[in-house]
Amino acid sequence: MPLIELRHLTKTFKGKTQTVEALRDINLCIDQGDIYGIIGMSGAGKSTLVRCINYLERPTSGNVIIDGKDLSTLTPKALRQLRQQVSMIFQHFNLLQQRDVRGNIAFAMEIAGAKRADIDKRIDELLELVGLTERQHNYPSQLSGGQQQRVAIARALATNPKIILCDEATSALDPTTTTSILNLLREINQKLGITIVIITHEMSVVESICTHVAIIDNGSLAEHGTVESVFSQPKSKAAKKLIFRKTGADGGIIGDRMIRIVFEGNASSEPVIASLVLECHVSVNIMYADTRDVGGKAFGQMILQLPEDKLQQEKIIYYLQSKGLRVEEVDGDAH
Amino acid sequence: MPIEKMIPLMLEGVRDTLYMTTVSTLFAYLLGMPLAILLVLTAPKGLRPQAVVYRVLDAVVNIFRSIPFLILMILVIPLTRLIAGKAYGSTATIVPLVIAAAPYVARMIESSLLEVDPGVIEAAQSMGASVPEIIFKVIIPEAKTSLIVGATISSGTILGYSAMSGAIGGGGLGQIAISYGYNRYQTDVLFVTVILLIVLMQVIQIIGMYISRKTDKRIRE
Ligand SMILES: Nc1ncnc2c1ncn2[C@@H]1O[C@H](COP(=O)(O)OP(=O)(O)OP(=O)(O)O)[C@@H](O)[C@H]1O
Ligand SMILES: [Mg+2]
Repeated sequence: MPLIELRHLTKTFKGKTQTVEALRDINLCIDQGDIYGIIGMSGAGKSTLVRCINYLERPTSGNVIIDGKDLSTLTPKALRQLRQQVSMIFQHFNLLQQRDVRGNIAFAMEIAGAKRADIDKRIDELLELVGLTERQHNYPSQLSGGQQQRVAIARALATNPKIILCDEATSALDPTTTTSILNLLREINQKLGITIVIITHEMSVVESICTHVAIIDNGSLAEHGTVESVFSQPKSKAAKKLIFRKTGADGGIIGDRMIRIVFEGNASSEPVIASLVLECHVSVNIMYADTRDVGGKAFGQMILQLPEDKLQQEKIIYYLQSKGLRVEEVDGDAH
Repeated sequence: MPIEKMIPLMLEGVRDTLYMTTVSTLFAYLLGMPLAILLVLTAPKGLRPQAVVYRVLDAVVNIFRSIPFLILMILVIPLTRLIAGKAYGSTATIVPLVIAAAPYVARMIESSLLEVDPGVIEAAQSMGASVPEIIFKVIIPEAKTSLIVGATISSGTILGYSAMSGAIGGGGLGQIAISYGYNRYQTDVLFVTVILLIVLMQVIQIIGMYISRKTDKRIRE
């Protein structure tokens, strides 16, 4: 039995002037011990989805089943108790500013009705685990972002939850701090067996710690599965877009037209692109590259997104052909 | 006025003014606090939205706030008689002061409570906190600094109202200023009461700001 099961989940926000279908018929199973990444573009519905998992947001229809319990059948009190099993960490940490580190961790346990002595003991353990023993009497305003997120993680762990939901937990942090927070989450997953759901818009987060991934596109579940299977053979357009995007396009300069260049033992691929950029004074976006250098010769293919300007496009294609490369058109949907 | 008469008169005035201000502020908070909490809870984006309750409370607060204090004081004379037994003097003035100040205080508190980061409230909800826990363990403690600043401003305003009440039978410095300074042309008395009111206002302000700064944990030391 999966630990978290989402069945035909939909969420519609009705405003005065417009209605937004934030989630459409989402079906997903998350097993005990998974680190499940949920990725999508901004506005895709990721936050809404994760907030439905602990019923901070009530789904418009469909069911959320956690550990065999259908959340829609729970009384408000039972729901609050269940939430002690489903902790959450946030992009902006959301710590109590007027409580110190210990006080923040204590808060979660006070809500859960723990005894003072147990609280103190547990806080000591948690501080050790997240490496903040020295900072225990500091207030959030005296801590860095990474340290604040560690406090939030300690607070999330205080009630011995089965699940931790992370909504963009590393998005406000620099790359080094992100890595250390992700490592901490992985450690928690491995040592304590806690299931982790990670919402992110960064591919690198999914790549570095997730076992499974679901791709949300415009409120729908585009694709899901193990990270290896989805990343090696993305099927949906949304998945391909995310996986091949990498660095992202250069603002308005880059257009929609894409070409595939095929290397069949030509001179190395990198100098070709580099000299293309230098000699033609154009910028291209490498959408996808699967090339290998074998003894200085390139094999494989590369997909380039061309500038909007027609003249520049022709210039690029002419240049590549003049270098003896095969150039094919790629339509937007099928690369 | 000779100094040996002036000093006891002023001491009495200061005492009465402080008495009216502190007791009125206290009662205004006793009424204003629950009112503010209800406003925040029942607001459209509150924890327990109740459109009708919210709209009624909101309107009542606005109505009371829009009546000028002196007119309100006259309007509630029957109520003042009922509660205090008479319509003049320091104790009696507390009744209209509380009625005028409670909606003002409620708005002050409401705005302080609304300043609390919704993310922190959401975090508490995600931990399974109940509505009373969110109010008393999250919203009020997090709003502490702003509440203290608000209380400072409110008691200053109430001090001002209490002085104004002197015009129609309230006690304290305001009454002294009116009856000696205005009715009997004793400018020296008028002058001294004004100075004392300014000093009292300053003292309230300094104490309030000091406490709010001392208790604010968001300031890096
Ligand atoms: N309370 C709300 N009322 C109305 N519309 C909402 C509400 N919450 C979210 N939406 C809408 O639902 C859609 C999905 O929002 P959501 O916050 O889930 O996106 P997201 O994938 O988390 O985006 P981001 O990466 O920017 O955080 C958006 O179009 C958003 O405007
Ligand atoms: Mg989001």
